Amino acid sequence: MESMNHGLGVDIAFLLLATLAVVTGWRVFRTDSMVRASFFLLVSFIAVGVIMILLAAEYLGVAMFFMMAVEMTVMALFMVMFMMNPAGLNPMNMVHQERIAIGAGVAGFLVLGAMALLATFPDQPVPASLDPVRSLGNEMLGDSMLIFESAGLVLLTTMIGVVVLSSHRGRYGAAAEGSMPPGLEPGGDPAGKPEEDEEGEGGHHHHHHHH
Amino acid sequence: MFSELFLPVLMVIFMLVIGGYAVAVLDRLVASALGTPQAGRVWLAPMSRGAWLLTQHANATEAPDWRAWRLAPALYLALAASGLAVVPWSASLVATDLVTSVVLWGSVEALATVVIFLHGWSANSLLALIGGYRYVALGLSYILISMFVLIGVALPAESLQFTQVVASQEGLWNVIRQPLGLPLFLIVGLGMTFWGPLNLADSTDLAGGTASEISGPPRLVWDMARAGMLVAFSGVAATVFLGGWLGPWLPGPVWMSLKMLAVLSVLLLLGRLLPRLAPERCVTLMWVVLLPLSFIDLVWAGIGALL
Repeated sequence: MESMNHGLGVDIAFLLLATLAVVTGWRVFRTDSMVRASFFLLVSFIAVGVIMILLAAEYLGVAMFFMMAVEMTVMALFMVMFMMNPAGLNPMNMVHQERIAIGAGVAGFLVLGAMALLATFPDQPVPASLDPVRSLGNEMLGDSMLIFESAGLVLLTTMIGVVVLSSHRGRYGAAAEGSMPPGLEPGGDPAGKPEEDEEGEGGHHHHHHHH
Repeated sequence: MFSELFLPVLMVIFMLVIGGYAVAVLDRLVASALGTPQAGRVWLAPMSRGAWLLTQHANATEAPDWRAWRLAPALYLALAASGLAVVPWSASLVATDLVTSVVLWGSVEALATVVIFLHGWSANSLLALIGGYRYVALGLSYILISMFVLIGVALPAESLQFTQVVASQEGLWNVIRQPLGLPLFLIVGLGMTFWGPLNLADSTDLAGGTASEISGPPRLVWDMARAGMLVAFSGVAATVFLGGWLGPWLPGPVWMSLKMLAVLSVLLLLGRLLPRLAPERCVTLMWVVLLPLSFIDLVWAGIGALL
């Protein structure tokens, strides 16, 4: 990594990547499918990750790739599951509450743009001897270790809890055992539940399974 | 400029082409040795199949996501190329000697999940979609196992750089130092390239899965990308467990090629010998058996690094 005198190639790469990040970020809101939106966002994040590598943040930039890859995949699938949109291929509007969003977007752009133009940034070139990966590791697993480890443990506990709560199978049998789906109309029959064998009038074979 | 930019690119393309061809030939050799007769000559058959695919019509489905569908095979090939770019052939002969190359390989595995899912999803066809979903469910467990195994090899090297990982095996190769690592990593490799027993994304029970609707040039790119990923994977396995370029008498790159060929042969043999797993049982196996084993591998590596 160049420490001070970066070449023309780095500038060109930065401009291309910054354009890619902005354009794909814009496409997130203009596309009509949640899967596409998620992966446009992923491309945007990857472009930002490469820019971070250009800024000598070699670990954080590469970490961005794998973190965002898994995150966006899981996000896309969960959105498809919750939205009842078959596989996310059906056209669907990606924006809502447009007035508030436009207002917040303009305000955010003005504030960040003003900061970029008016603030004075410190001019501290990274010393050539600095090993960013090692210093990041020392930072995370040195003084701040307690914070990171506690946060990690809380996240892990949450994940295991979510898996346990959402699992269909449990130690005492199926999780949905005995639960009754609500009716389609108030007081109506449970929705999506097959009729009980006992209620069937003749002509049916009665199967009795032991679970 | 030339040597910095073009030589590494040429090197990676060369490895992709030669490696992909080697996979096709080796797989045919393994198949005929195991008693499955192969049509045509072993050495020419991959090329004639490639040429035939190039002349074939590229299938179209009803309302696919064209861009994603055509890009997915190319992106998978690009990921294989990124993986090959960080595989060192000697202490100095490496396309990109990134200080976080181990993490970059982890990213290649994670991004492969995205690309394989996109390949199945964008065809707008049932069996391809099931293949894509299947891979996401399985891919997450492959990534986790691979991550723990790779952290294990980074510990004795005290570095996230493949060249340093090789240098740390000067005295003792990781295959002996961390005996659980290589077997686990080979399983990850079969899973990530959905090869043989772990071919669940493109399997015959889904009539080809994510690749069920592609033909012609896109199919050729997809097949090359899978072979290329297998090559990249065997390169990483040879680097982190078999001492990479280390070895007596012969020059480093020769040792590296031999080790890669050995890993490749083992993978292709396993691919032909083992029956395909059922996806549900495969998920259980990954989470209940192999993931805990990878924890043990990591603890083992940690204790070894402390002693």
